[in-house]
Amino acid sequence: MGCSTTPRKEGISTSTIPEQPGVLVVKRHHLLVRWSHWLNVPILLGLSLSGISIYWSSPIYQHTPDPLTGNFDVVADIGIWICAHVPGLHHYNSPPDWIYSHMSLGPGMLAPALRIHWLCAYSFMLNGAMYVAGLIAGGGWRGLLPRRIDLPDAFRMIRYYIGFPLAKLGRRQWPHPCFNTKYNALQRAAYFSVPLAGCLSVATGWAIHKPMQFHSLAAIFGGFDAARVWHFWLMWVFILFVVPHVILVFADG
Amino acid sequence: MNNKPRGLFGERPPPTFEVDPKVWRRRTRRDVVLFGAGTVAALASARSFLPNVNRIDDEVAETLYSPRRTIPTYAKSQITPLKNNYNGATPDPGYIPGWRLTLEGLASGVSVVLDIRSLMTRFSIHEQITRLVCVEGWSAIAWWAGLRFDDLLRAYPPMSQAKWVLVESSVNLDTSGNPDPYYVSLDLATARHPQTLLATHFNGQSLNVEHGAPLRLLAPAKLGLKNVKAITRLTYVAQEPRDYWAERGYSHYDGI
Repeated sequence: MGCSTTPRKEGISTSTIPEQPGVLVVKRHHLLVRWSHWLNVPILLGLSLSGISIYWSSPIYQHTPDPLTGNFDVVADIGIWICAHVPGLHHYNSPPDWIYSHMSLGPGMLAPALRIHWLCAYSFMLNGAMYVAGLIAGGGWRGLLPRRIDLPDAFRMIRYYIGFPLAKLGRRQWPHPCFNTKYNALQRAAYFSVPLAGCLSVATGWAIHKPMQFHSLAAIFGGFDAARVWHFWLMWVFILFVVPHVILVFADG
Repeated sequence: MNNKPRGLFGERPPPTFEVDPKVWRRRTRRDVVLFGAGTVAALASARSFLPNVNRIDDEVAETLYSPRRTIPTYAKSQITPLKNNYNGATPDPGYIPGWRLTLEGLASGVSVVLDIRSLMTRFSIHEQITRLVCVEGWSAIAWWAGLRFDDLLRAYPPMSQAKWVLVESSVNLDTSGNPDPYYVSLDLATARHPQTLLATHFNGQSLNVEHGAPLRLLAPAKLGLKNVKAITRLTYVAQEPRDYWAERGYSHYDGI
């Protein structure tokens, strides 16, 4: 990392200092936080896959039915486009189902998809409670709070990420900006927003699951149909977080 | 960062401890094995747990339900189109003139057969504009009128042990047009809700065959699939009766 103030920690939570006979272990996350973090992998995967199967039964984004195929689902259109343009998929037998067959439990799976969705949704809420308990017990919540210096620091990180591939190509040094906090400003923004998105997913989920008992909750999001749109796009917040998150964990540690 | 005053919101240095490298390697290996075993165990328990999930979710729905919580009503300007969502083929309207409603499981011990005219003259008709929500995710705001289920329950009281009503339609067809009787379970608490109607009118006109002429259930506290069209029989029972969609992997109560 090249920062004198923060020695780089190797692995998930350990740091080896060669002069000492033992290994110096730095406990960066409470055990409950680590468990809830990894449990999110199967839970979010299950929620997304079953969620797209549920979406199939009544797509939010529809157009007037195509005179030839009768298709009205924008997601099915994407599948049709993929099968028409991606080499090797020209002979796929049901192009409108391509997305649902590859990115969900499959078309026509509403009943099992709902069951899996409820199982994962209740697990997600319990897991969220475990995460909050771990944040409080380990004091980790302090590292997530937004700070005054976040905006300029975020620009420093963005500059670093944009310049990094160019510097690598030119074999130039491109030092990582130094911070004296657990996370840099971009990490903090992401790790603060994702739990917030989790809370919104749960709230919009209840609003569309129980729209009569929780009709005032649905009203906050603009009613039942609008809450479905919120819930759909919140899934994309998780996907758009997870993809760079995993890439950066491998690239940056 | 360690020497500055921290306050409540300032970050603390993470706790550190020192261990023998061998011990640490062993512990890492143990953690990996434990995590793997934990994952397998969690997936196995999730698999065995899956069939019961609907029951748990049903119980949550019942806990949330309150007979006093009214269901939101809408203005006529908010009405949206309601498609004919008959599960199979739409029945031939030929059944309508000979249609009768049979009540069974009554306190009197005898079954009662009613025609639509007697239902509409004996009971006062109530109007409501409510949202019908389908399990698939779509919904429609529709204008209904009909008698209150509760009024029918008062006029023909069910046997004292009854907690459920089996709502049946014998005129339903499957997709190829063959008879496919439809039946759902409904708890009497929901049947007694003041906004649970036995609807006779849709959009200010007598129900047409697409929407379940001459009498359909309108229970807006339940998913659309409980709102049986062309009801032919109501049977009051003590034990939870069978349910068409619960037998096909959906939830039992469908409270929303």
